[in-house]
Formats: sequence, C-alpha cells, structure tokens
Amino acid sequence: MKYKVTHITDYIYEFPATLCHNLMFQIPPELSFQNVEEYSCEISPKPSSEIERTDFFGNKYLYFSVERSHKNLTVKSKSVVELSTPPWIAIKPAETMPWEKVVDLLHSTKSSTDIRQYYLESNHVQFVAGISVYALKSFTPGRPIMEAMLDLNTRIFHDFAFTPGFTDISTPLEKVFKHKKGVCQDFAHFSLACLRVIGLSARYVSGYLETLPPPGKPKLIGADASHAWIAVYIPGHDWVEFDATNNLLVNDKHIRVAVGRDFADVTPLKGIVYSGSEQEMRVSVDVRNMEEE
Amino acid sequence: MIESYLIDKMFNNEPFLDEMATDQGKIHPHWESLARYYEQIGSERMGQFHEEVGRQLRENGVTYNVYGDPNGMNRPWILDPVPMVFNSEEWEGIEKGLLQRTELLNLILSDLYGDQTLIKEGHIPFELIYNHGGFLRQAHNIKLEGEQQLIQYSSDLARGPNGKMWVLHDRTDAPSGSGYTFENRAAMTRVFPDLIRENHARKITSYYQTFKNTLSNLTTNNKENPRVVLLSPGPTNETFFEHAYISSFMGFTLAFGEDLTVSDGYVWLKTIKGLEKVDVIIRRVDDVFCDPLEYKNDSHLGVVGLMEAVRQRKVLVINPLGCRVLENPGLMAFLPEISKHLLGEDLILPSVATWWCGQPTEMKYVFEHIGSLVIRNIYRGTQKKSIFGGDLSKAELQALKREIRRSPFMYVGQEMVDFSTTPSWINNKLEARNAVFRSYVVADSENKNYKVMPGGLSRSSPEKGAFLVSNQTGGISKDTWVLGKAKDTVSLVTKPIKSQLLVRSVLPSRTGERLFWLGRYLERAAYSVRLMRMTLLSYNEADEDIHIHENPVLSTLLQTLTVMTGTLPGFTLKKNLKNPESELLALVHDVYKSGSLAYSIQSFLTNAYSVRDRLSLDTWRILDSISEELARMRKSNTTLTQAYQSLDNMVIKLMAFYGLNIDNMTREPTWHLLNIGRFIESAANNCLILKGMLNKSFDSESNKELMEDTLRCNESLVTYRYRYRSNLEMHGVLSLLILHEDNPRSLIFQLLEIDNHLKTLPNQDEKELFSTERKKLLEAITKIRLCDIDTISVANQLSNEFDAMTSLLNQIIGLLHETSDSIYEKYFSHTDTRYSMIQSSAIPEI
Repeated sequence: MKYKVTHITDYIYEFPATLCHNLMFQIPPELSFQNVEEYSCEISPKPSSEIERTDFFGNKYLYFSVERSHKNLTVKSKSVVELSTPPWIAIKPAETMPWEKVVDLLHSTKSSTDIRQYYLESNHVQFVAGISVYALKSFTPGRPIMEAMLDLNTRIFHDFAFTPGFTDISTPLEKVFKHKKGVCQDFAHFSLACLRVIGLSARYVSGYLETLPPPGKPKLIGADASHAWIAVYIPGHDWVEFDATNNLLVNDKHIRVAVGRDFADVTPLKGIVYSGSEQEMRVSVDVRNMEEE
Repeated sequence: MIESYLIDKMFNNEPFLDEMATDQGKIHPHWESLARYYEQIGSERMGQFHEEVGRQLRENGVTYNVYGDPNGMNRPWILDPVPMVFNSEEWEGIEKGLLQRTELLNLILSDLYGDQTLIKEGHIPFELIYNHGGFLRQAHNIKLEGEQQLIQYSSDLARGPNGKMWVLHDRTDAPSGSGYTFENRAAMTRVFPDLIRENHARKITSYYQTFKNTLSNLTTNNKENPRVVLLSPGPTNETFFEHAYISSFMGFTLAFGEDLTVSDGYVWLKTIKGLEKVDVIIRRVDDVFCDPLEYKNDSHLGVVGLMEAVRQRKVLVINPLGCRVLENPGLMAFLPEISKHLLGEDLILPSVATWWCGQPTEMKYVFEHIGSLVIRNIYRGTQKKSIFGGDLSKAELQALKREIRRSPFMYVGQEMVDFSTTPSWINNKLEARNAVFRSYVVADSENKNYKVMPGGLSRSSPEKGAFLVSNQTGGISKDTWVLGKAKDTVSLVTKPIKSQLLVRSVLPSRTGERLFWLGRYLERAAYSVRLMRMTLLSYNEADEDIHIHENPVLSTLLQTLTVMTGTLPGFTLKKNLKNPESELLALVHDVYKSGSLAYSIQSFLTNAYSVRDRLSLDTWRILDSISEELARMRKSNTTLTQAYQSLDNMVIKLMAFYGLNIDNMTREPTWHLLNIGRFIESAANNCLILKGMLNKSFDSESNKELMEDTLRCNESLVTYRYRYRSNLEMHGVLSLLILHEDNPRSLIFQLLEIDNHLKTLPNQDEKELFSTERKKLLEAITKIRLCDIDTISVANQLSNEFDAMTSLLNQIIGLLHETSDSIYEKYFSHTDTRYSMIQSSAIPEI
C-alpha cells in the first residue's frame, strides 16, 4: 500500500510568544517493509535553528527553535510512504518459542540492552495490581509466544471499549484497567504492561493508520489521527507488531514513525514556549491511500 | 577535661572506636598535641573559643537553609571548635583510595554513556543502571574532551569497626559543602592560628585553583577568558550561602535559571547590557531540573534548551548531566569486581557492605537480616529516605518486603556501620560523637589525573549514637585537618596558572532588578522610620483631652503616614484616627501588612539575600543585625514605647548598610542601580511628605510644628536653622527641601542624582538622543527649576490649601513613575520569564 500523510499541528497564542524550543518526532524511518519516498517538514514562522538528530531509541527527531515574536506556530509534516507485507506475517504462531524461554533469554547478557530496556517499567507503563493475572490467562505455561500474544491482543480488543474522551495523557493505567475504556494509546500502554510484567520486551510504536468512512459516506480531510500500537520482541523474528485497538497483527496499512518505552518518549511535538498567555492547539492528520486515487 | 573523656571511653562499653582515644584509654599520637592544648587552656577558655568560632562564622554571614521550616531560612552555620584529624600516613591511604575510586567511577561513567561494555559483559547488571533515575538517555554519547568525564567527586567516609575508613555515599551530581569547608577553615584559622601552624594542618586552597585550571582547559569556547556562571536553584536552597560564596571568591557569575536563555545554540546570560555569551556552567541544580525541554517539564530552575547547547558543544556543564547515575548504592556491591576488571587492582577504600536485591541470593539475605540492615532505594529522590529495618513494626516490614519484591532492583540492604566517635565540644565539655567525613576530589585536566583536597567537611551527630548525620537534622560541622607535609609533593614550584578567569563585570538583569528594589526598600524603610518617630513623639506629647481629629498636627502626621506607606484607608478613617494605637503598631511590625515598616524591611532583606554575592562581608553582618532587629521588633512590639525604641535602632542600622556600601561598592552598574532605586524612592517620599504635611495652613503654632516635623523627616532642621537663623517660614522650608541643589535632601538634588547614576548605565549614549527615562527626568528637573517659589509657598486664600505646591509635586510624582517604568522596560524587561510546556496533547486516538 502507498500512502500520503499530512500531519499539521497549529498553536495559537493569545499574546505573542517571544521564544520557543521544540522537539518533533514525526519523521518516518526507512525499513525493509516501509519505503519512505518523500518526507518534508514546513515550519512557520521559519525556525531560527533546526537540527535533525537521532535519539537513544534510534528515532530521528527534529529540534527547532523560533526566536522571535510570533502568535502562531504551524508544523506541517508531509510524507509519501510505500508499505509492503512485513516478514512476521509469514510466522506460524504455533511454531514460535515458548514464551518463558524468551523471558529467560531476555534476562541474560546474551540479549542486548537495546532489547532488554523494553521489559522495564516506564512512566506510563506501570505494573499495576492485577495486571500479571490478566496477562497470564493468555500466557499459559509453555505456550508459543506468538500464539499467546495473538490471544492477548484479541482479549484486550474484546474486554476494552474504544471510548474517545474518557482518558487523556495523564490518565493512570490503573484507571484504564479498572474501567476498561480508552483510546489507542491506552490500549497500547495496557498491552505493554501485560507483556513487561511477565518479563517480555515490548515497545510503543507511534504512527498513522487510515480511517475509513462509514459505507457510502465521503472521507473527510484531516479526520484521521495519529495512531499507536506495540511491538513485541520475538527471538529470530525481531520486533513483531500488534494492534489491540483493531485486533490485528499489523500488516501493510500501518505507517510507523517512532518507537519508545511509551508515549512520553515519542510525543509527536512538544516544546517550551515563553509566553504568559493561554494557548490553543489544533491537530489534523490526513492519510490518503494513493493506490485508490 | 581529657582525663574524663578517656575514662569515659574506657568504661562506656560502646561498640565504636574513637578518633582520639584508644580502647585502653590512651591518646593516639596524632591527637597528643591537640589534647595537650585543650588540657592547657581548660574548659572556660575553650568555651570562649567556641563562641569566637561562632562569631566569626556569623560575621561572615555563613548560613544554611532548612527545608519545610518557616524559620528555617538563614540558620547560622554551626562549627565545632574541635576538628576531625587525620595523620599523614593514614591520609596517604585515604588519598590513594579516593583517587582510585574516582578513576574507577570515571571509567564506569564513560562506559555507561558509551559502549556499555560493562553491562554487556555482565560486570554491572543492566537493571541497576536502566532503572536508575540518574541514567539520562538524553546524555548518551555526549562526551567532554579527554578521558575525564567526572569532574567533581565527593564521598562521605566514616571509620568502621575494623579501624578502616569506609565509603558511605558517593556524590557525583552536584556535590555540595566545599564552600562551607573553606569558611570553616577560615574561622578556625582566625581562632586557633598557632594550633593550626604547630600541627601542620595542610592548606586546602589548591582545590579551587585546580578546579579553575580544569575549567579553562575543558572549555571549547573562549579558552583564554571563559565566562563562568554558577547555576543555583535560588536563595531558598539548602546551601545557597555557598553558591554565593563560591561565586564571589572564584569570580563566577551567580545565576538562576531565569537569568539564562538558549539562542543560536549558545547559552546567554541576560544582563542589563543585553545578552552575554556563557562558556561554562557550574551547576548546583539537580540533573533532571536543568532543562525542562528534555527532562522534567515543570522545572523552573533550569535552562530551556540546555541539552541542545551541550550537544552542540557550545557550553560546558560541570558536572556533566548524567553523572548522577553513579550516586547509586547498588553499584557499591559491584565495585570490587569492576576494580579488578578495569584497573587490575583491589579496591582500596571499602564501601559499606551492600546487598543489591536485584539478585535472588542477595534479596534472600536482605530479607533474612532485614532487622539489622538499612534499606535504601538505589535512586535518591526527594521522598525516599534510608529505612532502618530494626525500627519497623511487623506490618511495616511486610509492606517493605512487598515493595522490594515488586521492584527488587530498586533496593539495597546495607550493613549498619558503627562508625567511630570523635571528640566534640558539646555542653561545655568534650563528648564523643559519631562523625562522617566528606571528601572532595577534582579533575586536574592538565595533568590528566585527579586531586584530593587535603581536608574536607566533617559532620558529627548532635545526639550520641545517631547515625544519620546531616545539616537538615541538626548535624554539627567540623573542620578537617590532615597533619604533616604531603610526601609526594610533585613540584614545590607553583605551576603558572593557565588562566585567571578574569572577572568581567556583568550584571544579570535579575540581579540588577533586585538591587534597584534593594535601594527602593532601603529608602522606603528609612522614610517610614523617620515619619513614624515624629508621629509617635507627637502622639505621646498630645493633650489627651483633645480629640485627635481636632489636633491638626497629629492628625496630619497620621494621615501623611497612611499616604506615604500606601496603606489607605488607614488614618483617613475616623475610627482609626480616634484610636490610632493598633493601626500604628501594625504599621510598625506587621510583616504581612503591605506598606508597613516590617514589610519594607522584610522585602529589603529578601532582595539583599538574593544578591548576596554582590555585597561585601561587612554588609552581610549589617544585614544579619537588621534581620535580628526585625525579629526583635516583631516579637517585643506590644507598646508604642517599645516600638519607638526599635525604630531608633533600625534607622541606624539601615544607614550603616548604606554607609558601608558607599565605602565598599565599586562604581559599577550594581552601585548605580542601587542608587537609582534609592533616589527614586526618596524623591517620591519627599514629595509625599511635603504634600501631606504642608497640605494646608492652620494656626501659626501648628504650622510651625508641621514645618519643623517636615524638616526633621528630611533630616534638614539643623541645616535650616544654620542657614536661615530665623523662624520657620514656608518660603524657606520649600526652598530648602525642593530647590536647593546643594542640600542632599532636596527634591532637585534627588532628581539630579537619579540622572547622574542613570547616565552611567549601558545604553545611555549622551551623544545620541536622550533616552525616554532621561527625558522624563529632565522634564521634572526643569519644572522645579522653573517654578516660582513665591507662588508655591502661598496658600490659596479661600481653601487655605497650598494648591500650587501640591500640583507641582503631583506632576513630579507622575514623571517619577514614568521614569521608573521606562527604566524597567529597558533594563529588567527580560526578567519576565514565564514559560509553559506545549505538547501536542492530542493523544494518538484511533
């Protein structure tokens, strides 16, 4: 599949801001199954400095600052990405390693710290009470990891209600678990907690997914949003992606942007602005399937 | 005195060793000279010396702050007159051990932020580092030039039961206390000069010289003359005193986060001249508070974008961000093995025995011995204190074990060390107290090695047998003496100093603003005192049978007081005028009443403390005594008589503050801003007093009294008499207080002074056009010069009010406001540094 993604973030300040420093995580990486044909980023007003860097988790990000008075800040990321079927689609779940063996392997110096770091708790992925009991219902003794994971993915999809507006960035995982409600970010954080609490390495993936309008209705521009899902480390197959929000083993419709321990590592745009006033923010994401046009 | 100490030591059966006495009640050789001295002088002299030491420190303004205590600000620093003593042989071992430990920690640090071979090969458990809050992923692969990444290192040491020194804590983020160490030594040198000389206590000054050299070696920008700032969290921080102290004597600029900004990748200091590039930041702000963009986004102590400036190598931050990962008690369990692996040496200084719960066997050991261990979190956050297993109830133990089981890698169990006691001067005799010694090590980048300060900061516990020794819990500090000459003196010739870090005078805008307000509050307080004195005198002398509102002099004084202090309605209310005592008392000592004398003095002190690095030592002493006077005034002010007395004391001290500064302050922008504030305030108060006191013409007796009081308020009565040798007349009074350019109390003199100081400030180019603020001043000055004295000294015949004078003064007050606003805009406007975090809060939703 080939997609054109336009991600626009707008800040409007009540009074002019004199200075801002920002970090932007919106640059899709080049992967064997993700070919980035085009990427561009337009920032207005024009930044005073702008530097592309790679973070600790291997993501490309942009640091930029605007050092003059401005009332609006607009960041527009545009990309054209061609996706192909990822290698994990060919995995036969029943033939994967028992999950306990994976745990043992991860907890030894045979595994690299780049992989091991994803089995630790993080700010948004806390081992709240009851979470291992929930996870172990899928991860029964000796069960092949892929099979168990698919089962967990489906259970979360059925047990949790997709409910926009119930949670925000600061909602603790406990509340999500208790009410079994949330959006894709909460689904992802909860999945990560289930996996990490039993010792598996799993990471947060941020990106985009095309949303389809109800049958017969036209698709609205900018109605899409950024999306989040997870990747589990399976020895021999590297990182395998699952999307609990949609009960999917990720295939060729998810456009990846960044990976991290949780949302906080890969916030699409964050910054500090010198302004005493209130601000308003608008985000719009548009994902176009170029093969249908 | 010594005898009883020794006997006590022999028979008390305590498990601790003692620094001075052997278990058999003998004196260790290196203590003999000291013991002899104490015996010789006896306890009475010793008591006097103790007081003298305290006085020295007080006079130098040495203080610290206690958190969470409303009276915890500016506590006097307590120093034991009895030092901690090491002989040269033992010191050689300690020094070697500290150098080895610093080298080792430096290698570990470089590895953790680089290849991580130590983790990959299993020498350091992965969980011990990746779970530690001090492991900053943002600092990965950022290196200083050369091999030395850890620049300043400190550790707390104590003597264990086997007689060896043990390491209790490593301090690698922003170690504190070296400034206090210097002050302790200075006080001891003044009180015990012979004792220090005879015992050959080694000098500690080379520490900061090495530090300076290292800074100019390491900085990549402006090597010859780098601009160094010391980044402090601010005046409420526990050790703020030493931030100011170190800045002063090292020639650094003391800065708070709000003084700095990042632009073009560089860090800039906001000064009254504009932005000045910063080359080096010595930070005393904790790691994650240093840059809200990349770490704690609600921190207001840091500099937004600092990490990016570090990455671009445009600023040097010392210690580098990330060093805190070494403040990790869990690491102690692995150091012996890492030392063998990396250095091929056994660890010289043992750490306290440590079991890291991240390993099953060790966790089991900790659980089995929990009652006799100290449990500590590997990351020292704000809330996580050491827990003594033995102090816990059964239920608490269960809860603790549950917590450990949940995150085993976050905890260690450590042996409770019975550390040694040292003689301490307590309750006028020598008593044995447990003591901890903090050492200081600094990188010498020229010689590519480290240097240990031959001395340090020792602290003893206030109670016997207490193991927690810190200033927060009332610890007593001790000077630390290393006796005898160093054996391996590399060269006797002092190396030429590479750079003097020449101090270029810069004035951060915030400091400028505080100085401006310091001047304003100084005058505000002084004018309040003078007017209050007149008012109280008049009140005491007033005929009780006459209502105050029928007493024109007293009611005018009271109402002027209200207007001048800006405390309306005050005495414009009939009921207050009828019964003025409570309002008067409140105006003197209610520190919460905005405009009161106590409020002005408190504000004066607050501003003074935040610029204390700019003020001389003697000035600090005056500030201390003003602070004491304020406390006394607030405590004892129940009657107006008492209030009157404290007013007298206060005005003298305030003037002493100013007088000292005339003598001491260099004529730089600091001085000029202080004076601009001062003269703006005095000009305004002068106007308000004239306007209030001489508002109206009454009977001739009252008029005379009011004129006399007005002159007194301006300290001009004597001048008047001398000059006019006649009765008081409005014409003469107004001439003297408004027009006479040679009377320092006249309005015209005050306005001219503002202008004199103003024109020396940066960005006031006389050849160009006058600035707005100078134009406003010129307008005020001209108005006064052009005014007709005969017109303003005559009252309106219908109303009996001095309309012409009042109208002139109102115009001057207005122009003063505009001048002040314009000065603010030009020099202090970028002190407004409110900022907030923005985040694309739209969470991924679909």
